[in-house]
Amino acid sequence: MSCVEGEPCVEGRKRRRAVLALGLMAIIFLALSVVSFLDSRGQAVPETVAYAGHEAIAGKRVFQAFNCMGCHTLVGNGAYFAPDLTGLYDKVGPAWLEAFLPSAGAWPTGAAVQVQLADPEVAAEAGVTTLDEYRAKYPAAAERIERRSSHASTMPNLPLTRTEVRALIAWLKYTSSMNTEGWPPVPRVDGLSLRHAQPLPVAAAQTAAVAGTDAAVAADAAPSEEARGESLARDYGCVACHAADTRRLVGPGWGGIYGADVPLADGSIVQADDAYLVESIRAPDAQIVAGFTAGSMVSYAEILDAEQIAAIVAYIRSLGENAR
Amino acid sequence: MIRIEYQTQRLSLRFFMLMLVLFFFQTAFGLLLAAQHVDPALLAGVLNFNVIRAEHTNLAVLWILSGFIGTILFVGPLLSKRELAAPALIKFLFVALLAIVVWNVATQALAQTGVAGWWRGEPLLQEGLEYLEAGRIADVVILIGFAILCYVVLRTFPPLSQWNEIHWGLGIGVVALTLVWIFGMFFVERLDLQEYFRWYVVHYWVEGVWEVIHISLVGFLLVLMFRADIKSVGYAVFWGISLVWLSGLIGNAHHYFWIGTPEFWQFWGSLFSALEPLPLVFCFWHIYLDAHQDGKPIRNMPAFAFLLGSVVLEQVGAGILGFTMTFALTNVWSHGTWVTLSHAHLALFGTFGMLGIAAAYYAVPIMRGVAGFDPRLGKLAFWLVFTSMLGLGFAFAIGGTVQVFIYRTLGLDWFGGDVAPAMQFAKLLAPLFGTLFMVGVCLLAYDLLTLGLTKPAASARRAQEARALAVRTPSRWGRRLTGWEAGLWLLGLWIAGAVITLGLLSFNLPLVQQGHAALPYLMASIGYPGLFLITLLFVWRFLSSLEARTHVNTETSLAAATVAPSGAG
Repeated sequence: MSCVEGEPCVEGRKRRRAVLALGLMAIIFLALSVVSFLDSRGQAVPETVAYAGHEAIAGKRVFQAFNCMGCHTLVGNGAYFAPDLTGLYDKVGPAWLEAFLPSAGAWPTGAAVQVQLADPEVAAEAGVTTLDEYRAKYPAAAERIERRSSHASTMPNLPLTRTEVRALIAWLKYTSSMNTEGWPPVPRVDGLSLRHAQPLPVAAAQTAAVAGTDAAVAADAAPSEEARGESLARDYGCVACHAADTRRLVGPGWGGIYGADVPLADGSIVQADDAYLVESIRAPDAQIVAGFTAGSMVSYAEILDAEQIAAIVAYIRSLGENAR
Repeated sequence: MIRIEYQTQRLSLRFFMLMLVLFFFQTAFGLLLAAQHVDPALLAGVLNFNVIRAEHTNLAVLWILSGFIGTILFVGPLLSKRELAAPALIKFLFVALLAIVVWNVATQALAQTGVAGWWRGEPLLQEGLEYLEAGRIADVVILIGFAILCYVVLRTFPPLSQWNEIHWGLGIGVVALTLVWIFGMFFVERLDLQEYFRWYVVHYWVEGVWEVIHISLVGFLLVLMFRADIKSVGYAVFWGISLVWLSGLIGNAHHYFWIGTPEFWQFWGSLFSALEPLPLVFCFWHIYLDAHQDGKPIRNMPAFAFLLGSVVLEQVGAGILGFTMTFALTNVWSHGTWVTLSHAHLALFGTFGMLGIAAAYYAVPIMRGVAGFDPRLGKLAFWLVFTSMLGLGFAFAIGGTVQVFIYRTLGLDWFGGDVAPAMQFAKLLAPLFGTLFMVGVCLLAYDLLTLGLTKPAASARRAQEARALAVRTPSRWGRRLTGWEAGLWLLGLWIAGAVITLGLLSFNLPLVQQGHAALPYLMASIGYPGLFLITLLFVWRFLSSLEARTHVNTETSLAAATVAPSGAG
């Protein structure tokens, strides 16, 4: 500190006082910090949280690797392009996330969420087994199914594996259990009842009803079996994991798969004919394709009837013909 | 006539040029982000929003650092009265910086496929944490770069006993820059602890370290531009730095309101970060005093315009907009919305970006030996980037206010269906002002890159033209700016800030929470445009009063302009 000539030099003293005040503040800050992370506070920690056998910390690594924070926020920090994810798990539940994350480009339908509930692990985490119970327990999931399903979402499809999806859900389960001191503020009014919600849930239900009538009319006109299979594949969430081309999402792409020779995990090779495809839908773990793990897909034997499975196989067959 | 006192000062030129190139790309990425906000399907799957945003924020940090390094290298020898130490290391630093820029731009794209390069639990390639997206490899190289900068600065400076406040500011600044960076180099499992340490880097960088470097460099640039007394500037620098740390050390608490840390941070954060504008007011006042102390014409108008812009946007973006959302009761609404974007853009580009550009406008003509250059392009570029950045701040603030109401008050969380359509007006304004900003960036980059490289005769003729145009009778708008008037302008800015703060507070009212947005919308549409218009008019008024001095004795001033500044310290 320089002194002005001809005046008594007190700068040294001033500087010492400033440093002293700063030191006092540093002590206050550090003391507050230590108290913040004491175990006795009871704040949730990721080590103790797991989802369907996947650890929350593994999910954090996926969350960072895909830079989710670059669009979303978590505890309000990140980009403001997409919603905050802190309390999402508690709001929409695990089955909705299981249905959404593998094919984030479109909002999942009720049927797609129902399919996830068929997995006992997911049902156990959700605490319910039927879609109706699920909708009652997770109103935010019900709202998403009513208003958004079949709409495109703003999020791009990400190449997430089954393990990564479950790890991410474990991470969100942890963040949901955190105490964030009352943030975000709880709305005092039901926004869905106001004109700001577009489309209003009532209007959406009406549109769906009209669409249903259309579908009924269309059904009278007897659409091709492939078209019916395509719409089933969408409604039941198949497209969440299977692309219509040769890309591998969670499962193999359907493009060109019909009639192809498929190498199995046990080293044998089978032809993907009608019988094989029906079997894969009804009992996915019976014949695992090389490079995939058992348990990735739920059995659709109880969810789809023989006619519906035949329609989906017809759709897959049509994709195979297109590819060739 | 123009001369450089120390040859190693020339090493700063490459850092200024790199700064301009990075600034261009950073703006281009920002423009893409704005376009994706309007049409989220744009480039989806090819170049996702999160990747572009990581490039945008990382390049912002890198070009600002490049500007800082350039400025420090340029003033270092003047402060020390000797050549820079270890010029070979500085050349290496430049190559390392260039390499890290290319490496980091490339590795950020890996987020699209979820590749982080995990090795022993650490992400080597990229780590997807806002502002700290760089992976460990880049982190380590950057740390080495900072260490080189420390070595060069400390070796160049005179012995400790001869240090004045500017030496202290810069010395502490570069060392702290290095030390604080280390807190971002670990994978932390707990979210609350990760955020706690992430703000060590982000907050203490901008509000502890960069602010200190900023105050010191602004102080010294004022000494160079106005021959201001280094003792009086030193006094301001000392108190500026002291106030920055006395308020900012605990002020970091405003980042710990909602991340899972205890409620008591809301008290400490609200109290201390409300004091954070104090040093900025101090800095604001000083630029007024120094610019008006001798009444001589400004020799390098673009450089001064950007310096003034830096100090004024620091006041408006960091000081006032930061203040409006720093209280727990306002932050609970603004947190995690576009409202913060308004503050972040004005504060980061305004305060630190404009300082680098100001320093480049000051240093480049001297290093290229240009005797009087045409300032018109630079001034036009200043007005373009300054006005359009205020416009961007307006777009973000208005969009943010709508977002708070729809997303937080009404609880509508379908971004594609409810939130984004409600913000459509603001979302359209962003690329509009972004394009204008881009034009400004291109102009100033072109001007600085080519300054002094065109034919001397042509440039001398253009400078002559500019001078001829500048000579005109001063109007009332160009009369001398008194201290009273400057104080009134400052008061006006803060009154607008108070309206904004009350507007954010009004989200707590039961009436608003029942779904009536009129009050916060009204306050925001008075407060934000008011604040930005007063800012614009004030800077216009300030620069006009200085331009009017050109009228007096143009020729003498030109002779004076050609003498490189000396004698500081």
